[in-house]
Amino acid sequence: MAKVEIKHLTKIFGKRPKAALKMVKQNKSKNEIVEKTGSTVGVYDINMSIEEGEIFVIMGLSGSGKSTLIRLLNRLIEPTDGQLFIDGQEITKFNKKQMLDIRRKKMSMVFQNFGLFPHRTLLENTEYGLEIQGVDKAERRKRAEKALDNAKLLSFKDQYPSQLSGGMQQRVGLARALTNDPDILLMDEAFSALDPLVRGEMQEELLDLQANVRKTIIFITHDLNEALHIGDHIAIMKDGQLQQVGTGEEILTNPANEYVETFIGGVDRTKVLTAESIMIPALTTNIAVDGPTVALRKMSDEEVSGLVAVDRNRKLLGYLSSDSAVSARRERKSLTEVIAEMPTVSLDTLIADIMPIIYDSQTPVAVIDSNNRVKGVIIRGAVIEALADTEGDDENA
Amino acid sequence: MLNIPQLPLEDIVTKGVNWLTNHLSGLFNLMQHVGQTVMDGMTNALVAVPMPLMIAGITLIAILTTPKKYGFPLFTFVGLAIIANQNLWDDLMSTLTLVIMASIISLVIGIPLGIITAKSPKTAAVVKPILDFMQTMPGFVYLIPAVAFFGIGVVPGVFASIIFALPPMVRMTDLGIRQVPVSLVEAADSFGSTTWQKLIKLELPSARNTILAGANQTIMLALSMVVTASMIGAPGLGRGVLSAVQHANIGSGFVNGLGLVILAIIIDRFTQKLNSKPGEKAETKPWKRWTILATLVVMIGGGVVNAVTTKKETGQRVNLGYVEWDSEVASTNVLAESLKQHGYNVTMTPLDNAVLWQSVANGQVDASLSAWLPITHKTLYDKFKNDVNVLGSNLKGAKTGLVVPDYMNVNSIEDLTNQADKTITGIEPGAGEMASAKKTLSSYTNLNGWQLQGSSSGAMAIALDKAYKAKKDIVVTGWSPHWMFSKYHLKYLADPKGTMGRGESINTFTRKGLKKENPKLEKVLDKFHWSKDDMESVMLAIQNGKSPKEAANNWLKSHQKLADSWYQ
Repeated sequence: MAKVEIKHLTKIFGKRPKAALKMVKQNKSKNEIVEKTGSTVGVYDINMSIEEGEIFVIMGLSGSGKSTLIRLLNRLIEPTDGQLFIDGQEITKFNKKQMLDIRRKKMSMVFQNFGLFPHRTLLENTEYGLEIQGVDKAERRKRAEKALDNAKLLSFKDQYPSQLSGGMQQRVGLARALTNDPDILLMDEAFSALDPLVRGEMQEELLDLQANVRKTIIFITHDLNEALHIGDHIAIMKDGQLQQVGTGEEILTNPANEYVETFIGGVDRTKVLTAESIMIPALTTNIAVDGPTVALRKMSDEEVSGLVAVDRNRKLLGYLSSDSAVSARRERKSLTEVIAEMPTVSLDTLIADIMPIIYDSQTPVAVIDSNNRVKGVIIRGAVIEALADTEGDDENA
Repeated sequence: MLNIPQLPLEDIVTKGVNWLTNHLSGLFNLMQHVGQTVMDGMTNALVAVPMPLMIAGITLIAILTTPKKYGFPLFTFVGLAIIANQNLWDDLMSTLTLVIMASIISLVIGIPLGIITAKSPKTAAVVKPILDFMQTMPGFVYLIPAVAFFGIGVVPGVFASIIFALPPMVRMTDLGIRQVPVSLVEAADSFGSTTWQKLIKLELPSARNTILAGANQTIMLALSMVVTASMIGAPGLGRGVLSAVQHANIGSGFVNGLGLVILAIIIDRFTQKLNSKPGEKAETKPWKRWTILATLVVMIGGGVVNAVTTKKETGQRVNLGYVEWDSEVASTNVLAESLKQHGYNVTMTPLDNAVLWQSVANGQVDASLSAWLPITHKTLYDKFKNDVNVLGSNLKGAKTGLVVPDYMNVNSIEDLTNQADKTITGIEPGAGEMASAKKTLSSYTNLNGWQLQGSSSGAMAIALDKAYKAKKDIVVTGWSPHWMFSKYHLKYLADPKGTMGRGESINTFTRKGLKKENPKLEKVLDKFHWSKDDMESVMLAIQNGKSPKEAANNWLKSHQKLADSWYQ
């Protein structure tokens, strides 16, 4: 069973929600709807399910409704329509008191601007969630200190937030959320206010954390690189509506519509695309059977200067260049003696990691599976083409 | 012009206030009684603390709360010492009581109201215009219902101060809570805070500085109402200022005003110390806290010891009301000093004339010596004659009229044409004489186009002095006995129509119940009389720099026989 199940979730802000709803169904744009009705569509007809223990990333540009969506999940914003299930319970039907309980026990939230209380020390901030539950002081101190210790901030516990850097503040925000030991972490652009270096560190920490505690994390970002880096599943939103849900790979290789395609255009592909997506079929020669003459004939037919040498089972043996084949024929050697070594990568190696290999290599790079079988090759041209698509996106890296 | 009938706005308000006064009189009386008792107790407690002890204590606290800076403690010490030196200590404590009371009540009402308006747009829509109204309406206006509801004294003073000082408290609380960043409110919500938890743990602490700034403003506004409130009998430094204004006494006005300034600065600095940013707050060291606490304990202890060892004041209480006219200052001081010599416990309450009559009528003031009859105070007499006892004259041969320097060659009101810029320089707008002057303006056809300029008796005297020295024309509303007739050559203008009164007497009037409760005192008041010459000699002594008390005692010494006759 899914941890979180969202059905037809809709939020319309403003006074004439019905008229606005009608216009959304007619596929009118957000601007048009605001002008005509004075209502804003926050999110419209969202359907998705989030599995236990996964990092589910919701992304989109500013105004796409992603922040509204995450606030609908813990009902900081009341939905206009639709249902929301957590562990099979329909929490959209919960009363105020039940909702307080859900917020206290099941879900915690981390905010873009950290949301730390400036008049409280780090420790007092961290224990806030337990404090309002009425947990006694010694107990909540202990748990808060442990959370701060995990965030490597214990020695700062009596400082005030204003005395800390952004990264440290966000670690406190995260520690505060984790002190309650919730099942679900809602993270609203949690790392967007941090500088790129710290942001990278925090992403790694989050992944480490996830590996240890297996929370269900719903993560909002407008940065596709961040989404691809940490997300198990990614949902892309536009104008309050869901465009596509899938793994990073699915979204990149198979964008559902033009919007998603444009949207992902901005990503650093070298860190997303794998060997598999840019390899071309390998031209092979089975050197157990073929001799130099056959090999050279193949080369001239295919207009190439080398072949991948394989055995009967298509397992990789090495690289046969035209020069080696010529010298083998002259000196009457077997092809096995003249083949050169060939660099290899696996199917899911990132382009970013292939680049240095191909730069140093005289030969193309072979793509092999776990049984050493040749699946294809990567030539320099393909890498350059992949790079060309990411031109000017270096600052997003 | 459109012919729209005038709306009876005045009537409606008057009737409304009357209705409230009549129907809620029990409540108002209770509030007046409780308030008066609490505040008298508070003032007494403050006064009981020996002055040197209190000055030392407050200075010590100033030193402890101002680390490494000596300006403020020094100012505190010198300022308080000056106030004490000028004999304004008791007034200072009365003022402090009024300010503390008005501020505390404003805080108690204002903070919750601010919270409600911040949380409920509907309440805000109702409350905010009312706040604007309260803050813009001149403070004087609140004195009128305050007297109607609570009579005279410190309670109506507090009432008026609260209305005046409340708005910034509400506004700043409202603002402070609204200014709490949305992300913090969301964070509090996301952890499942209840409304109360959010308020207490997040919103109030976040809004703390704004709320304290509001409290500071409220205290300052309450302090500024002290002077206004003294017009209706609120004791304190304000009375000195008001009296100085009415007698145009620059020195006394400055000294009393300075007392208020010193108090304001000290309170302001102390309240600002409460205001600090989290993290920047230098933790007060425990020994400092303990010392401050110990200082307070010593001060209170000193007060208790002082209160126990000081003999309780005995004697019957008499509350004499008067108006700050030179004549009444003289007579009331003479009677008060005389009564004190006979063991009475006398309070003198300076009031506006109309308020004075009302206060005698409703029994808050026992007696007054200041009814000029039959003309000058006719309107007030007519209004209150059923509620006061007029015991008869205490001084005969009083006179009111239009007065000019005798270098002017007019002798009758009918001779006036365009002298003195067609202006009659008058006194307080509420004075009976001003009513007579108004009547005179409309009765004499040659006064068409003349105007009556209201001011105060002191300002009138100054204007007269200035014109006299420059030999310029001036027409004033004058009365005798008055020292100005001894100081300048002046003459009354003949008044053939008699609108300014013809020969009057000054009368003593008392509250209705006094005769029954204290026939002996009533008898003294009835017998109190003296002559125009007696009064003018006292007035001149005061004018020449003697304090009213001193002048009265000097006169009593040399007129022992007459004074004794009042008690036979």
